[in-house]
Amino acid sequence: MRYFILTILIITVIAAGGICGAEDGSELRQIRREIQQIRADEERQRQRDERLIGELEQKVEKLENQNRQLQQSSAQMQTRTTQQLQQINEQLGSSASDFARTFHDYLGTHTFTLTGAVGGDFIYDRQTATNTFALDFEPIILYRVTDWLLFEGTIEANLPAGGGADFSLPVATAQIFLNDYLEVQAGIFDQPFGDWYEDQSPFWVNRFVTAPLPYSVEALIPPTDIGVQLRGGAQWGALGQDIDYTAWVSNGPSFANDIPQPVVGQAINGVNTIKVNTNGQGYGGRLRVYPFPLDSNLGRLELGASTLNGKWLHGNWYNAWGVDFAYLRGPLQARGEFLEMYRQMPTGNADNRQGWYVQVGYFLNQLPLPFAPDPVADFIHRLEPLIRYSGVNQRAIVQDEVSTLPETGFSGSPSIFTPHAREVALGLDYWVAPSIVWQNEVDLELPEAGGSIIAFGGNPTPTVIPRGATPNDVAFLSQLAIGF
Amino acid sequence: MKRVPIAIFLALAVLAATCAAGGAEEIGKAEQRRLFRDGARLWPVYCAQCHNARPGSEFAPYQWDAIMMHMRTQANLPARDARAVLEYLKAGR
Repeated sequence: MRYFILTILIITVIAAGGICGAEDGSELRQIRREIQQIRADEERQRQRDERLIGELEQKVEKLENQNRQLQQSSAQMQTRTTQQLQQINEQLGSSASDFARTFHDYLGTHTFTLTGAVGGDFIYDRQTATNTFALDFEPIILYRVTDWLLFEGTIEANLPAGGGADFSLPVATAQIFLNDYLEVQAGIFDQPFGDWYEDQSPFWVNRFVTAPLPYSVEALIPPTDIGVQLRGGAQWGALGQDIDYTAWVSNGPSFANDIPQPVVGQAINGVNTIKVNTNGQGYGGRLRVYPFPLDSNLGRLELGASTLNGKWLHGNWYNAWGVDFAYLRGPLQARGEFLEMYRQMPTGNADNRQGWYVQVGYFLNQLPLPFAPDPVADFIHRLEPLIRYSGVNQRAIVQDEVSTLPETGFSGSPSIFTPHAREVALGLDYWVAPSIVWQNEVDLELPEAGGSIIAFGGNPTPTVIPRGATPNDVAFLSQLAIGF
Repeated sequence: MKRVPIAIFLALAVLAATCAAGGAEEIGKAEQRRLFRDGARLWPVYCAQCHNARPGSEFAPYQWDAIMMHMRTQANLPARDARAVLEYLKAGR
């Protein structure tokens, strides 16, 4: 029985195997067909891709060729352009430099340059009933030897009352530029104290016709001096932030010796040409700083301080110091100074003086005038209204030194010669060109009471009279100033 | 004692004289362009500090050489700034 069951199972298995084998055969054929189909598709796809890749490669090659050609033609064009430009530059440059060289050779290495200024005035003063014309001519000769050596001379030709021209030599210096930060200047020079004498006094540079009172006929500081200066400037921050210095040794101050004895209020001499008043020297120093960078749009501010010290007679000292500022922003310009002088007197009485001025001007060249006709707008745009207040305090005035004869830049008003002079100056400038100006100025002389008048009157000892109220005065000055 | 400041002053001058001379330097075109650009910015401001700025056309280049030396002294201009203004004035003609 057991064998029978085993036999049936074997037969069943064999039968089942035969049936399955028949099904497997048809599936396999189907799979083979699909595989062949896939292979055929892949082949076609590969052939298509290879064709596309070939086409792309051809395109890339074509583009590369084009690019190479463009580069070549660009380089050729650039070379041609450069050559042409070079030729043009050479043609232009050679002719210009040939001309410049020829001209320079003709002039020589030592060159003379003439600059300077001339001022022609009309002057009216109410108190003295004066009205007159006046003329002053100040050529500056610059003799440039090399790029580190310059000689400078200023000759002043002034036409005083009742005579021919007076000639003087306010400046004659050698300027030696040792390096970028140091220059030596020797000779007779404008006093480097404050901004007035060196920088503001030329006719066309001074916005007014007259000088401010501390630098006028009763000056606190000698206008010129003889000696040696060391000076220079440097940039300490951004562009426009500068600092500069001047230090000098000179003959120093002296006072007028045309009166029998030194007194308080005596006029200071314009220059101490040959020093016989003392064996001491004068020592001066000046420092200026410009705090604002050029790009800050804060304008240009200058702050300065000066000092001058020296023995004016034997062992008696003269000490002066001052501070000053200048500010420029667009059409606005303002400047001012305060200075003080102390003079030791042989008699023991001190001679103290203070002076100051402040001035403001506004150029109308940027004033919008949309409805004004062109000639009117042009006229107004050349105008610069100005105002200045200045004053001097001193204890006395020497009567014998007072000269009310007007001259260029001075109205001759007696009210200026008071111990406490005050002046309001109103100005209106008409600018013909950057260095040609027609200036008009009304001076209101408003002296304050106080102080003394010292008079010798031919006697060896002075008479001292208390100064009472001094009458006010009005003066008008009109000047054509030409800077050349 | 009083001669000490003079001696110091003169010693400084002599010492300075031994420094490099502040003479002309051969400058490259790039530096020339920088000077021109700075000069164009400095010219209206530095000049107007005291007076109206005068155009380069008013003087010949050799005259500007002398005038700018004079102005460098008058205003104590930094040397490079003076060179920049000079470059602008001469090139701006």
